[in-house]
Amino acid sequence: MTDGQPPFEDVDWRELTGYERHAACLVAARAGDTKALDALVTDLTRLVWSVARGQGLDRTAAEDVVQTVWLTLLRNLHAVAEPRALANWLIITTRREAMKFRGGRDRVGPLPDDAMEQLPSVEGLPEAEALRSDRDRMLWRAFGHLPYECQELLRLTVLAGRAEYDYVAEKLGMPRGSIGPKRGRCIKRLRGYLDDEGGMS
Amino acid sequence: MNPTERPPGRTPAGEERVLELGLPAEDKRLLAELAALLELADPLPDDLVVRTRFAMELDDLDYEVATWQRDDQLVGVRGAAAPNTITFTVGDLTVMVSLAPAANGNRFDGWLVPGGPHRIEVRVDGHEPATTSADEGGRFALQEVPKGITQIVVHMAEQIGQRARTVVTPTIVL
Repeated sequence: MTDGQPPFEDVDWRELTGYERHAACLVAARAGDTKALDALVTDLTRLVWSVARGQGLDRTAAEDVVQTVWLTLLRNLHAVAEPRALANWLIITTRREAMKFRGGRDRVGPLPDDAMEQLPSVEGLPEAEALRSDRDRMLWRAFGHLPYECQELLRLTVLAGRAEYDYVAEKLGMPRGSIGPKRGRCIKRLRGYLDDEGGMS
Repeated sequence: MNPTERPPGRTPAGEERVLELGLPAEDKRLLAELAALLELADPLPDDLVVRTRFAMELDDLDYEVATWQRDDQLVGVRGAAAPNTITFTVGDLTVMVSLAPAANGNRFDGWLVPGGPHRIEVRVDGHEPATTSADEGGRFALQEVPKGITQIVVHMAEQIGQRARTVVTPTIVL
C-alpha cells in the first residue's frame, strides 16, 4: 500500500482512512470539493497545532501559525508534489512558519539524528494547569524532560498513528527501519524520567 | 478495533491509534496515557477548526498571508479582552487598525503603509463583508463592523513600482 498503485485516486475519500484519505481529499480539493478540504482541516489541525506548540509557540501564536499553514496549503493545493505525504508537507510548513514567529530559530532542527535524541530538554514544558492528578503531572514533567526529537516523535505517533507517521518519518529523512527502534528508545527514556519523578510506569 | 472496520470518515482517537502499534503492552499503555494527557494538557482551542475553515473561504487564491504583530502586553490576552489596536504585516506592507466600540460592533480606523487606493475587506463570520477603500495616504474607516471571527483582506491597488496583490490575515476574534 506504500509504493504500489495509488488506490486513492479511484476511491471516494469518505471511504478511506489515514494518508490514503488525506491524499484523496487533497486531490478532491484540487477539483473544488470544499467538503474534502474541510475534512482535511478537521482531521489534521490537531497535528498542525501539536507541531506548532512543540516548537515552543504560545497558544495565541500557535492559533495564527495553524491558520497560516492552512492558508498556505490552500494557495498551494496544486504544488504539493506527493498527496500521500501531505502530513509531511504540513509538518515542514508548520516548522517553517513557527520558526518565522520565533525569529528564525528552529527548535527541533532540520533532521533528527541520534545526537539530538540524547540531548535532554532543559526548558521542559510549561506546567499544564489543567492537570489535576499527581500521575498526570508526573508524566507531563517526564515528557517535558525528553529531547525535542523524542517529544515530537511520540506526539506525532499518537496523533497520526504509526502507519501515517512512519510514512511521514521516512519522508522527513529518517532511514527506513530506524523509526521503530528510535521510538522504543524514546519510550524507554520517558519511562526512566517517570521513575525519577516517583511514578510507576 | 481493526482499521478496516472503522466507519468511513472517522479518524481514530489517540488511544485507539496506539493500539495499532506493534509495541509491548506496557509501552502501548504508556503511549495511550500520553495521548490522553496531550489532549488534556494542550487541548486544541474549541473554535480553531471553525476559524480556520472560515479563513479559507476565499474566492481569490492568489494571496499572501499576513502576520499579526502582537506586543508583549497583547500576548495571551486575545480572546479575553479585545485589543484596541491591531497590526499586521507582510513584506513591506503594514496595516494598523484601531478599534472603538460602536452600536453593534466596532468602528475601524485604519492606516496602510505604503499608502494608496487599496481596497479593504473585513470578513466577519455570519455577516456580509464590510468593504471600503483607503485614500491616497492609506487611511480608511469603517463605521460599524460586527463583532466575531474576523479576517481582513487587503486588495492592493496596482501603482507605479508596485504590482496588484492580495493580502489576507489569519482570523482574530474581535
